[in-house]
Amino acid sequence: MNLEKVVFGFFVVLAATLNFGFFLGDIDDPTMHNRYELFAAVVVNLIATVLKFGDRTQLGAVHLATSLVADLQLIAAALVLGYAAYVSTAGLTAATTASIVSLSGGALLANLVSVVLLVVETASFHRG
Amino acid sequence: MGNPLLLMWWRLLAWDDDGRRAGGPPPPEVAVPHAEASAPVFLVLRRMRAPLIVLIVVFAVSVLGLTLVPGEDAAGRPWRMGFFDAFYFMSYTATTIGFGEIPYPFTPAQRMWAMVSIYLSVIGWAYAIGSLLALLQDRAFRAALALQHVTRKVGRLGEPFLLLAGYGRAGELLGHALDGLGRRFVVLDRANERIDDLELDSFHADIPALVGDARDPGHLAVMGLGSPSCEAVVALTDDDEANLAVVMAAALLRPELPVIARATTVAMAERMQAFGSPSVVNPFDRYGDHLCLAARAPATYRLLTWLERGPGAELPALSHPPREGRWVVCGYGRLGRSLAADLRAEGLAVTVVDPGSGGADEDAGDDLVVGDGVDPDVLARAGVATAVGFVAGTDNDITNLSLVAAARRANPGLFVGARQNRPANAPLFAAMEIDTLLVPAEVVARDVYAQLATPLLWRFIQEMPRQGDAWAAELVERLTALCGRHLEGLWTLPLTPRAAPALGSWLAGGDARLGDLLRNPDDRDRQLHALVLLVVREGQATPTPGADFLLAPGDELLLTGWAAARRALATTLTVDSVREYVVSGNLVPAGWVWRRLSRDTRAPEPVAGRRPG
Repeated sequence: MNLEKVVFGFFVVLAATLNFGFFLGDIDDPTMHNRYELFAAVVVNLIATVLKFGDRTQLGAVHLATSLVADLQLIAAALVLGYAAYVSTAGLTAATTASIVSLSGGALLANLVSVVLLVVETASFHRG
Repeated sequence: MGNPLLLMWWRLLAWDDDGRRAGGPPPPEVAVPHAEASAPVFLVLRRMRAPLIVLIVVFAVSVLGLTLVPGEDAAGRPWRMGFFDAFYFMSYTATTIGFGEIPYPFTPAQRMWAMVSIYLSVIGWAYAIGSLLALLQDRAFRAALALQHVTRKVGRLGEPFLLLAGYGRAGELLGHALDGLGRRFVVLDRANERIDDLELDSFHADIPALVGDARDPGHLAVMGLGSPSCEAVVALTDDDEANLAVVMAAALLRPELPVIARATTVAMAERMQAFGSPSVVNPFDRYGDHLCLAARAPATYRLLTWLERGPGAELPALSHPPREGRWVVCGYGRLGRSLAADLRAEGLAVTVVDPGSGGADEDAGDDLVVGDGVDPDVLARAGVATAVGFVAGTDNDITNLSLVAAARRANPGLFVGARQNRPANAPLFAAMEIDTLLVPAEVVARDVYAQLATPLLWRFIQEMPRQGDAWAAELVERLTALCGRHLEGLWTLPLTPRAAPALGSWLAGGDARLGDLLRNPDDRDRQLHALVLLVVREGQATPTPGADFLLAPGDELLLTGWAAARRALATTLTVDSVREYVVSGNLVPAGWVWRRLSRDTRAPEPVAGRRPG
């Protein structure tokens, strides 16, 4: 067992699950989407991205790309949330919530690709 | 075709008179290890993983804590910080900007957590920045960076360049000579200090240089072995086997490239010859050849050394090694063996002095004196008093100097040769006034220079011994009369439509005399200060052709002379009206309008004999 692989797999899967947890629920209901969960998803995604740095293989490059996409979408979602809560006079409306959740939904897709890559990588690894 | 401006563009775009780039097939791919080329980025990313994760975690924990710790608003009601405020606070606190407590003054609980966050973030930043700085100092990282830098520089070299493997003393001399000619080269050397020296040295051009083993084909590939602009490979490392490896790599990966390699033993030269046909330079062998040439044909030897020293060199003094009698050679290593064989082949008797009896074997013949040459008794036994020539050829400069002194004391009339190993000892050898001095690095550098500098010079040097000593003496006379005691520039001139567009019809006429071509475009009764050393036609070489020599299209000329003569000749070659005046004396209008006008009024009638001014 390789500890590095454990940590790597842990963060990749955790990023996807947190993202999924935030995404779950009615799309325009603010009470169903916890902002702490979004925060955790952003942080775990960032860590997963850094863990993918410096891998020269083709698979590693795709891994990094999916993570960067997820980061981008989640940070966009966090920015929309911050704008709605602090700047906008209307506050957190159903429409804003919907856009936040749909952004996180995009990130979820990228994270799922990441998990699929992880599974593919693991499955194609032969013990020589 | 005779438009100089058009010609300039043509040359700029196709950049070579010989059409080396324009015509040839693309060179084969030589694998540059791609991973090596892009290594620095990956190295940074990989090394920065841990610091970046620490930084992210520190930020996340601090921000999360701030949003959880209970606070109060301005009116004293319970209030919790949002993520936005918390991230804002952490951003300016962690970067030591410190705007204070916003949006409301903190409660003691918040201050406690803020304190923890401050210390955590300082540690996080210190760790991250420290890691980055350590990475910049890292040897592996710097090597990777240098490799990438050199790869990029070599890739961008558009002009033809030489690949120089090994930058020792010979490489340095050769590099300066080539730089003086405006030739580009790239350098690969194993020693860090040599590359540092190169970077501190003053060259006209930028010299891409890499610290690396020449035995590694990957390094050769990085230095442009696979590049279409690479025109020759020169292996001058002090390790014969590394030179052999370079010869092999070049012969197998780029068989069409000329290769010049240094070898110090005959066996190694043979091994190199098995790969393509590299030109092998053996300084010890060359010394013997030169000494014999000097004995047989002093003027030829003088001309040879003058030409090999390159433009600006002063005419060397005429040396007269004795042609008859017995020579004493001290030191029977690589130099001693080669020299003794050469001298014996010339019909001279040789006595060898060597301290070790083991090294001096049967092929030394009967004339072997075992003993340390510094010992006066040994020198007396070798018969220095009755010898005509003496060579101190050990690999120790101090021994060589004392050998020379001892031999001179025993026999003041001796012709003395010596080998100088270290450049620092040059003043000592100069003060001893050695008759013929061997500096292996200089021999190699000059020899390689003669092969590379001007394509036809090497051919000329090979033709020289066949012409006889009187011819060489006369040529030296003519050269000194033309240009003085310092050698002028040498250049090659192919009479192709591209290099000499204005000559086409004249050459095809069959009455193109060399003497006419070398007239001055300002006044055709005067000759240019230039001398044709060699004409090569379809592989046949004619040294020093006379003024009546008939030129043909495709001839290649090797000239020497003033820079002004070279420019004037270039005008003759490219501008039709100048050529017409120079070869026939007719003044033809150069401009289109005048040409039209003169054709209308008096078409065929030339103004013969008129002169400008």
